[in-house]
Amino acid sequence: MAVTKQTRLLAKQLFKLSFADGAVTSDQVAGVLGWIEKHQPRHPLALLRTYQRYIAAEVARSRAVVEHAGPLADATLRLIEAAMTRKYRRPVAAAAQPNAALLAGLRIRVGCDVYEASASGQLAQLSTLN
Amino acid sequence: MLQPLLIIAAVEEHGAAASGITRIFEDFGINVPSIIAQIVSFLVVTFVLYRFAFKPVLATIDERQHKIESGLKFADEMKAKLEVAARESAQIIRQAQLDAQKFIDEARKTAKEFGDRQQAEALQRAADVLTKAQQAIGLEHKKMLTEARAEIARLVVATTERVLARQLTDADRSSYNDAAARELTSL
Repeated sequence: MAVTKQTRLLAKQLFKLSFADGAVTSDQVAGVLGWIEKHQPRHPLALLRTYQRYIAAEVARSRAVVEHAGPLADATLRLIEAAMTRKYRRPVAAAAQPNAALLAGLRIRVGCDVYEASASGQLAQLSTLN
Repeated sequence: MLQPLLIIAAVEEHGAAASGITRIFEDFGINVPSIIAQIVSFLVVTFVLYRFAFKPVLATIDERQHKIESGLKFADEMKAKLEVAARESAQIIRQAQLDAQKFIDEARKTAKEFGDRQQAEALQRAADVLTKAQQAIGLEHKKMLTEARAEIARLVVATTERVLARQLTDADRSSYNDAAARELTSL
């Protein structure tokens, strides 16, 4: 289903209304969804999909997925969260996600950015050095 | 043989008695008019023979002699011309032989040059083929080495991953994670 320009503009405006103190909050998102439900704009399904895509991208940008192999201390997770918040100058929440394929080390994904310091990554680099 | 001797003897016997040539004519029965007539008839016959027999024969002989001389002269000229022609033909043949030899030498030289050129080209082609083959072998060797190196690296990495997955303890992984976190947060 093609998204019209008006639908995309409306989704963008609703997305901007979803911010509170520089971050997407559930209350704001709930308010936007209530407005959509109440006013029934044109092409509501396309609008909701576009809005959901914007929100997902923003949530991903505000979320640091920390893949790890072996135990990860909570203090380490907080340290990463603080470092990413400083780096991106916005609140970034860190979430741990075990990944045994890393062997040891971490892989942090924030939006489209990936930071990796893992044993499997270093071995992969070794295998490409020919 | 005896008749002249008898005549001489008779002349000697009658020499004294008779005088002169008259007595001799009488003794021998010579009649002068008859002799003159015979001489005249002899001259006439001689003239007639000369005029109508000897002269045409001599003319014919002269003509034949002339023809023979002309023929001989012509033969000599022909012989000379033949010699000249023979010399010229010999000269032409010699020149033709020289030209033919020259052509043969040139043909041999050209054939030799062509053969040498063909041989050089064949050698060059062979060298090119050899060079290309060596390059192809070199590239294949390099490719094989690269593939072997990649395969060895892959095997080493796979083995290392298996060993690490089996050997690393939680303490090792925790320590590694802390070090990785420090490294990533310092970026």
